[in-house]
Amino acid sequence: MNEPINYTRAFEELQTIVTEIEQGAITVDELSEKVKRAAQLITICKSKLTTTEEDVNSILKELDAAGGEVSG
Amino acid sequence: MPEQVDDRSVFTLEEVARSIQKTLSDRYSSSFWVKAEMNKLNYYKHSGHCYPDLVEKKEGKIIAQLRANLWREDYRRIDHKFLTVLQEPLKDGIKILFQAKITFDAVHGLALWIVDIDPGYTLGDLEKEKQDTLKRLKNENIYQQNKLLRLPLLPQRIAIISVETSKGYADFLEVISQNPWGYRFFHVLFPALLQGDRAAADIAAQLERIKKVTNHFDVVAIIRGGGGDVGLSCYNNYTLAKTICTFPIPVITGIGHATNETVAEMVSFSNAITPTKLAEYLIQLFHDFAVPLREAERKIADRAKRILSEEKAKFQSEVKLFRSVTENVILTNRNEIKGLWQSVRQHAQFTFKQEKESLRSARQDLLRAATVRTALSRQELKTHTGVLLKDTGFQLKRHKGTLSDCQGRLQQHTALLVKQAHSELNNMAKNVTNMSPANVLRRGYSITRLNGKAVKEAAPVREGDELTTILFKGRIESVVTAINQDTDHE
Repeated sequence: MNEPINYTRAFEELQTIVTEIEQGAITVDELSEKVKRAAQLITICKSKLTTTEEDVNSILKELDAAGGEVSG
Repeated sequence: MPEQVDDRSVFTLEEVARSIQKTLSDRYSSSFWVKAEMNKLNYYKHSGHCYPDLVEKKEGKIIAQLRANLWREDYRRIDHKFLTVLQEPLKDGIKILFQAKITFDAVHGLALWIVDIDPGYTLGDLEKEKQDTLKRLKNENIYQQNKLLRLPLLPQRIAIISVETSKGYADFLEVISQNPWGYRFFHVLFPALLQGDRAAADIAAQLERIKKVTNHFDVVAIIRGGGGDVGLSCYNNYTLAKTICTFPIPVITGIGHATNETVAEMVSFSNAITPTKLAEYLIQLFHDFAVPLREAERKIADRAKRILSEEKAKFQSEVKLFRSVTENVILTNRNEIKGLWQSVRQHAQFTFKQEKESLRSARQDLLRAATVRTALSRQELKTHTGVLLKDTGFQLKRHKGTLSDCQGRLQQHTALLVKQAHSELNNMAKNVTNMSPANVLRRGYSITRLNGKAVKEAAPVREGDELTTILFKGRIESVVTAINQDTDHE
């Protein structure tokens, strides 16, 4: 569970939990576990909305290495 | 007039030129319509005149080529007409239908003097190019290819093909960078010309560059704006359109004009009418992600609370039910116990009373029986005691007589036995004396010893052994000279 989860999968998993909880498929025993997981997934998705990890310089370097002329 | 030199008529160059000019003007007195490809417009800014280079090609080869003149006033009029009808200026590489006269100038030679150009013909030709491009893409089965790609849920990393100073680019960046929801985009500009003859090749070249780093991008955005609605026929170019179709990640366009869609826009993953709208499309995709996220947050919290409160209510009602049931059971049991206790007490009292009664009667019976029995037994005892006393005296007397008789006999017998034993003892003493070693030796027997031990048989004795013989009086030491194993008792 510790490996970084892809936001698309996180979003899908979150939708599944919402559907389950809406359909009453979650018992009170699982509730705490599911709510905790949902909170984690929401955090992952929210942070994806407001952050990026790309770096222009590294892309330009890669373009250089591929033989393209850089004018970005 | 030719000059006669040695029987020959010699013309001057001017005379020849004038002759050609005259012939041509006689032959081609009126203007006519011609169709040709305008290879180059050759517009001269300074004079405002154009000297178009006209060609006709057959299977890619030039089969006819003529120079033309398009004078300043004609050019301005025709160019304006083109912009109105085609949204394209008069430019290189288009097919034109023009009205012309043949002119010949002594210095500049033959040329077609373009009087007018029909923009309708060129429009048809451009439209034909567009249709050809579409047809080729569909035949090659790649028309839908870019549309069928999957855009990530959050197309966050954008490779932008635009011009840094263009209004469209600025509009686009403003929307995505300054959105009030804090959505974060990453973008890199790949600059390219966006209109005119070189645009198609330029854009295609940048797409090829982006292809090398597609792993860093989710989407390519081609953005143009603020340049007026002219010069867009490049977006119908087959090569550019094909590059977009077959591009490995989605290409979206915001080219910014309101007339017919170009092929590039038609084949792109998504097209917006302006760069601003294109940016809003991306923002909307972020909303599509963010809204369900907020909804999920709210729904999960609500439902969780509801589940908990429902469970709590259920639990409380269970507790209530349990309490009422148990109280009921306890009450019933208590009453039952009380009833049983009373009945047990009654029974016990009754039984005690009965038992006490029967005990009392039994004691009386016992007492009565015991009294009778005691009297009877006393009588019996008395009788037995009398008999016993009588009997005992007689027996005692009789046994005393027997006893004294036995005593006398015992004494007699004992004296006899003692006397007998005495004489036997004397005999035995005599025998014992006779048997003592001294008495035996005295009678002539001797004891022979070898190494201190009495010799009873010849077997262990060896010749040369020294023997000691003990006699009644004295002893003899001897050496064995011969041994005879035979036994020879007297």
